[in-house]
Amino acid sequence: MRRWLLPFILLAEIALFTTLSGQTFTSASDAGSYFQSYFADLICQSAPVLLLAFGMTIVLMTAGIDLSVGSLVALVACVMSSFPAGAEFWWTAVPLGLALALLLGATNGALIAWLDVPPIIATLGTMILYRGLCFVVMGDLEKSPFLAVPAYEWLGQISGAALLVLLTFIAGGFWLKRSRWLREILMLGGNPVAARYAGIPVPRRIVQVYSLVGLLGFLAALTFTARNSSVSASSLTGLELQVIVAVVLGGTRVQGGLGSLMGTFYGVLIIAVMDEGLRGAANWGSEHLPFKISHLEYALLGLLLVVGVWLNTREKTHRPGSSKG
Amino acid sequence: MTHGRLSPFLRQRLLFLLAGNIALLVAIAFTMKQGGSFAEVLHRCGPNVAPVVLAGLGMTGIICTGSIDLSIGSIIVVAGTVFGILVHRQWPPLPCFIVCVATAWGLSAANGLLIRKLKMPAIIITLAGLPLYRGLALIIADLAIPGFGGSLDVQRDDYHAPGKQFANAILLTALAAALFWEWFASTPRKWRALGSSEEACRLAGLNPHSIRQSAFLVGGMFLGLASLIFVTQIQFIEPARLALGFELQVIGAVILGGTNIFGGEGSYAGTALGALFLYFTAQWMTYAGISPYYQEAITGALIIGVIGMDCALHRKRKRLEELA
Repeated sequence: MRRWLLPFILLAEIALFTTLSGQTFTSASDAGSYFQSYFADLICQSAPVLLLAFGMTIVLMTAGIDLSVGSLVALVACVMSSFPAGAEFWWTAVPLGLALALLLGATNGALIAWLDVPPIIATLGTMILYRGLCFVVMGDLEKSPFLAVPAYEWLGQISGAALLVLLTFIAGGFWLKRSRWLREILMLGGNPVAARYAGIPVPRRIVQVYSLVGLLGFLAALTFTARNSSVSASSLTGLELQVIVAVVLGGTRVQGGLGSLMGTFYGVLIIAVMDEGLRGAANWGSEHLPFKISHLEYALLGLLLVVGVWLNTREKTHRPGSSKG
Repeated sequence: MTHGRLSPFLRQRLLFLLAGNIALLVAIAFTMKQGGSFAEVLHRCGPNVAPVVLAGLGMTGIICTGSIDLSIGSIIVVAGTVFGILVHRQWPPLPCFIVCVATAWGLSAANGLLIRKLKMPAIIITLAGLPLYRGLALIIADLAIPGFGGSLDVQRDDYHAPGKQFANAILLTALAAALFWEWFASTPRKWRALGSSEEACRLAGLNPHSIRQSAFLVGGMFLGLASLIFVTQIQFIEPARLALGFELQVIGAVILGGTNIFGGEGSYAGTALGALFLYFTAQWMTYAGISPYYQEAITGALIIGVIGMDCALHRKRKRLEELA
């Protein structure tokens, strides 16, 4: 699928689901305020996925994969929630959470780069390990110190969440687009042996990529806890799948060497709009369909992925060394 | 297996797992409390470990060809849902069992066919199948049973026969058949050939597409048996929650058993031993009184430890191969 198609799919989806939800507008300003709050909600809701998808795009460019992101974010959130609330939370839990996230990401990278474990296996193992550590930290408890921390709530509101997301995508995207770093990543994804002979420090780059996912996981944990206010050991199960589907839908190749950050952005939003829209269309569904419309979500997600990637492979957009999808 | 000649790597891994399993059994025997019966532990092992071992046998073949099937958990859900609906319609047990196995087999074959027809990587097709099949199961249940409340219950004992009474027999028969077949048939060797090099396979006059398809067909048969045992062990079949994360458990057992995740190398015996190793570890932790909260973390650390050590040991050989 060509990348310019993605925003149109997104718009068509928004139009479809707004109609199905039975929303009527009396004036232009009415519609304006509706869509303003709609997009604000959408960005806040999908901020963790957006942040992680940014990192996952770069991981897939290296021909790797990170299955541990869901467990990583949950573990960081669990550890942070064990600190007492109050102003000191900002200089105890938050820096520690950042350090922990970087450490967990770097662990993934070290397993892959230095021990030569295939990425899918290494992160499958750490996915189980990090989730297990969540249970070690939390047990059966559900903790919610976050809303008692001054100014923490701001991270979950539109100004905070949008700032983090846009800063990541616009600033990060612009810098990466021009950086030598990203070109080296694309090259080592395309052909790791050639990359090593070209003098690229492959293991160091891989550790950097997975540490970047750790950093983004920390930001995702901040936005998630600020919005949901509580966390338990089984929070965010299955997040990795959502992230990977969004990235692949955005036109990044799983075999590495090719990817698009903007495509990822649209990919996440397309899935989030569908998720939200099906919930809004529950009334319409119960009148017109013989099954619960929310059950359609899984099926649509799968179909979207197959159709998206199928169109992608048919196009044969692969140009060596290009970062465009 | 290459007619009696295992690669040194696989032989090493099989010996390690065998020793590990025996050590774990000895440890279980020693930590068992008074009144616990060791024979009982062994007897109960069959039904508990059967779904993972059987699904793992199928997955071994698929991974050997360099593909993967991430949707097996969801396929079990569809098979279970169809089974539950037929029980609800009061079909006699035997047709229910047959339809359950056939559903899983058919979906696995469909995965193979889609990969072949759409020319897309197996990981993408089956990643899409993961939500798709689960959604399909929920929609089928909604359509077949008006006012479906999220759970299908199977009460009568005769519907639980394969999972509770015959699990050991099914497991041992299937395992013996698989090992025998692997030893003498040419198909498993073709799978490994395809996993090693698709190009070489094609140049040698083999058809890569039909070899890959055959791995999904054989894998589907094992998956059918696995889902039969899986769904006849439980009373309530909940399509939204059944078998969540099952594919990861199976892939974990397969790679622990020495199958190369990129294809070209693997053995049924290793998969069975790998699944047993993970199961006995969990059992031992329960007997040793380790808090259930620590068990998942220990299992994860164990998988990383075994595989990490192994990959690190083979690092030098891999580098040398790269130069050649």
